Amino acid sequence: MSVIVECQGVAKKYRQGQIDVPALRGLDLALEEGDFASLAGPSGSGKTTLLNILGGLDRPSEGEVRVDGVAITSLGNNALADLRLRKIGFIFQAYNLIPVLSAAENVEFILQLMKTPHKERRARAVEMLKAVALEGLEKRRPSQLSGGQQQRVAVARALASRPAIVLADEPTANLDTKTAEDLITLMSDLNKSSGVTFLMATHDQRVIARTRRHIVITDGRVSSDERRDGAAA
Amino acid sequence: MLFALAWRNIWRQPRRTALSLISIVLASAITIFLLALQQGSYSAMKENVLSLLDGFAQVQPEGYADDPSLRKAIDEPDALAARLETLEAVTAAAPRALTYVILSNGPRSYGSAVIGVDPSIETKVSTLDASIKEGRYLKPGDDGVTVIGAGLARNLKLKVGDELTMLGAARDGSVAADIVTVVGVFATGAPEIDRQVIETPISRFQSIFAMEGEANMIAVKGRRLADIQNALPELRTIAEEEGLVLRNWTELEPALHDVIMLDASFSVLLYVSLVVVVVFIILNTLLMSVLERTREFGMLMAIGMRPSEIGAMVWLELLFLAGIGAGLGIAFGAGITAWVEGRGLVFSGAEALFSQWNMPSTLYPDLNWTTALAGPLAIACSIGLAGLVPYARVRRLEPVSAMRAA
Repeated sequence: MSVIVECQGVAKKYRQGQIDVPALRGLDLALEEGDFASLAGPSGSGKTTLLNILGGLDRPSEGEVRVDGVAITSLGNNALADLRLRKIGFIFQAYNLIPVLSAAENVEFILQLMKTPHKERRARAVEMLKAVALEGLEKRRPSQLSGGQQQRVAVARALASRPAIVLADEPTANLDTKTAEDLITLMSDLNKSSGVTFLMATHDQRVIARTRRHIVITDGRVSSDERRDGAAA
Repeated sequence: MLFALAWRNIWRQPRRTALSLISIVLASAITIFLLALQQGSYSAMKENVLSLLDGFAQVQPEGYADDPSLRKAIDEPDALAARLETLEAVTAAAPRALTYVILSNGPRSYGSAVIGVDPSIETKVSTLDASIKEGRYLKPGDDGVTVIGAGLARNLKLKVGDELTMLGAARDGSVAADIVTVVGVFATGAPEIDRQVIETPISRFQSIFAMEGEANMIAVKGRRLADIQNALPELRTIAEEEGLVLRNWTELEPALHDVIMLDASFSVLLYVSLVVVVVFIILNTLLMSVLERTREFGMLMAIGMRPSEIGAMVWLELLFLAGIGAGLGIAFGAGITAWVEGRGLVFSGAEALFSQWNMPSTLYPDLNWTTALAGPLAIACSIGLAGLVPYARVRRLEPVSAMRAA
């Protein structure tokens, strides 16, 4: 298996007044192609900071991060935006769909940013929505969809660009038990069928139980990295 | 899809968008109406002042304006006038001769300009005949008669039927003297004319002042001043072919031109203030919308949209607002202005004030491409330029801090 994401000695400090507050302290981590991993840890342990750095949303104070072979710490803002567009898919706790676009358009939007031809992006949007079981709801706007349906659209959007990795920040936190279970199953199936790597920051034990790799961060470092092949049934 | 996104974004807050559009529409309509009314009043002012005596343009010998000597003359004025009248824009061309004389009535003497005119043509160029307060204006076949300004008549204690002695220098340097009978007294309301001008038939003028069929100028008139302004190149060509010069209205009435320019300069301040107020209203609205959507912009950056693309989307929203507002403003403003243009705007009770400029108390806005588009385009372009502010703000956003925004 090839390494998709690699962190070496990643540290991140935030300035609060006159004090530097460390969020990550020399963290090392490698995610391989096809990983279906959960990232856990107490509040303030650095989960979201790590996701932001891996996703090119934030820059580490120290250390090196490579995504699909690209050293992202030295990239400029536009190059980082392109990397996020082409290599990384994001799923947020609050779905974060574009409210004025329909479900299909939300998915298509990513492909348009990638300058995919019109016919191809329309077909791919329909295909992705079918993959997340939202066939027939393509024209609905986010406000006309349930929370679970919105998160499925977010999953379809995250996968539309065929990214190297999907980063999810508490993807089930706003969903009821049944919807959360369905979403986990969906992401697990997509991981298996497409081979795309998933890393999910979560407190949800149901998610953790279904992932094949479980990483725990404590005080800005990886305190546990457990591989559990066969966990995602 | 960026266009679709920007378009749908502006309708997320329909009430706010409607209020923004109303301010642009009203400001555009107001600028159209005020600009058209201003242009209409300027046109009325220019045409009325010029119609009184000058005409809309004059053909003169070179240097005549600086040194109005009888020796600077046009040899065959009637032929030249006929040639000028062949132009479509020209409705009449009247030869005139002019000199300065001493007018006497008994012990009283005053200096005055005497203008020799052809009564059959002059009334097509000048409205002086309409200013006759006593007696009548000159008519074809008149000889040895004059019409005199009311101020001059008062100073010389003259009335209709009185005789007036005129003493001056003829073209050949000899003494020119004549006795003419006052047949009319005019009061134009312009003191420099009423106190300093008399008119007499040009045939008599030519005889007394040794002009022998010559004139000093040809006054040109058209249906509208704009027609003559548009025909200036052709008029100038004819004048130059005859070794003469053409003087347009700004050269004939420089003081009026300066007054109009000064008034226009002050009114620019009003228009600029209006534009600035509208731009700040729209900018404030858009900045509020940008602040409200900061989290969303963070999300857009997270999924791979460049800050410059988000800035462009916000700018596009502003351009949509400006375009729709200006478009509706043009339709509304031009509609209202065209309606008033057809009926006229009556300024009741202002007749005395307006008559000082020989103007009617009913003004007609002048709706044309310039008056219809200048204001709305200035507003739309200013709003477009103001879009640099939210654009710059969005470009500075960092994804993480934007996503954490409240």
